[in-house]
Amino acid sequence: MHPVPSVFEGASNTIAVLVLLTEFAMLRAALLRAQLRLYAAQSLLLSALAIVVAASRHVPELYVLAGLSFVLKVVIVPWVVTRLLRDTSTEIAGSGALGVASEVLVALVAAAFGFFAIGALNIHSRVLPKTALSLAFAVVLVAFVLIIVRSDLISQAVGFFSLENGVSLASLVVASGLPLILEVAFLFDLLVAVVIFGVLARVTHGRSGSMSTTMLNALRG
Amino acid sequence: MTVSPALAQALQVLTVAGGSPLVSGVIGRVEARLQGRRGTRVLQPYYDLAKLFRKESLAPESASWVFLATPFIAFVAYLSVPLLIPVLTNFPLPLGYMGDILGGGLILALGGFFTSTAAAETGSPYAQIGASRVKTFGALAEPTLLLVFVAVATITSTDLPYALAGTIHHSTAQIVRPGHLLAAAALLCVILFETGRIPIEGHHGTNEFGFIDEGKPFEHSGPYYALLQWGSHIKQMVLYVIFLDVFLVPWGLAGTRSLGDVLLAIPVILGKCAGLGVVVAVIDDNWAKLRLYKITEFLAASFLLAVLSTFTLVLGGG
Repeated sequence: MHPVPSVFEGASNTIAVLVLLTEFAMLRAALLRAQLRLYAAQSLLLSALAIVVAASRHVPELYVLAGLSFVLKVVIVPWVVTRLLRDTSTEIAGSGALGVASEVLVALVAAAFGFFAIGALNIHSRVLPKTALSLAFAVVLVAFVLIIVRSDLISQAVGFFSLENGVSLASLVVASGLPLILEVAFLFDLLVAVVIFGVLARVTHGRSGSMSTTMLNALRG
Repeated sequence: MTVSPALAQALQVLTVAGGSPLVSGVIGRVEARLQGRRGTRVLQPYYDLAKLFRKESLAPESASWVFLATPFIAFVAYLSVPLLIPVLTNFPLPLGYMGDILGGGLILALGGFFTSTAAAETGSPYAQIGASRVKTFGALAEPTLLLVFVAVATITSTDLPYALAGTIHHSTAQIVRPGHLLAAAALLCVILFETGRIPIEGHHGTNEFGFIDEGKPFEHSGPYYALLQWGSHIKQMVLYVIFLDVFLVPWGLAGTRSLGDVLLAIPVILGKCAGLGVVVAVIDDNWAKLRLYKITEFLAASFLLAVLSTFTLVLGGG
């Protein structure tokens, strides 16, 4: 019988599980708007986790990080992408390379690999919530699956952004003392990614009239 | 004044047998209210059963003894599960260790097997569609259920329902463990599937093509049909009791053998089941019925929850 985890560990694990579940829900979401909403919800969960970590480990800088990531990832990024969507009048993500049920199973295998990989590292630490770390790794892998199986630019962009969410989940539970400046650099990175994806989406849409990457192998747009 | 263990055990069975139509009645009533209808009385399922028991019964010519024996077998199978699970008391009763969770599942599956066989025997296309669909999708729901049991076994090192209920009863911290919450959510999905609730099928089915669970007793009539209906009320309440008393809220059960405690536990468990029924009715009202081929997605989602629960428990220790 495993010992019952502490309250901090329980809370961070629960939030990490919810982050992973939103990642799986993104695989299922057919409407691009729904996918963006899921991304916003996932980012909101991360801000909540930052607050939990800040409160339980007494790292006041993390409150700033929580605020910043809330403004950027819950408000600005979804807003920018929604505007992009409105300009291109695309609403439905094209069907992926697989059916939803098989996508979920493939993603499960990827997540299982993440769990076993972290388990194989044999980390024994009393302060580190190991489950949350494995979950963060699983989030990153499932985000990769999302990017691979979906063939439209918006889903791929959302997959990339949520991959960043997975990385910051890991950094929050492993190294909450990570200097604020580094975290802010991460967020700035994300902003750059949003701009690049925006330009890419506009160019693709301008040339082929759709957001799907299946058009890219045509010789003439 | 104390209740003998045998009497308490008999009371568990009687509570489920007598109370289960009430739970269904409450769900029907709440559902109707949410849809803006007045709805039937809460006691309507009892009147329905009484009416059916007075009616004559007919059987298809092709049907054999299996068709006629099925309602009794199913009824008895569903009604023997309350011997194994904590319905009224949180201490194990003499026959409580007769079977573990898998044993209970096996008995429920036995009832399901016979109703499906009887449906296949009738020669009626609707009953046969129902039976074959139940078995097809049931095969997909089974892995979820098994993984939920694995999760339970990881938490308690046993797979006895009383042990899990006791573990949760003793430490509230258990209940917010993500592994446990995920297992409970997966179990809720399976219960919605097993009781034929809305993401899977409309409960008062008039659309024969959408039949899954509702289609099976299509050819039974009179007292036989009444027993099957009563059996499905019982199955529903048994699953609710497992979800509530074993997984989610094992409080309000009698802790001693005193008569007052045991009698008080009866309205408490009925209230808890009715509460879960209200939740089910709200789900019913907010979701649309899934297309038949989308049911695999729903079951894949429940499987996902169960697998994640096992991962977090076994590999992460969460």
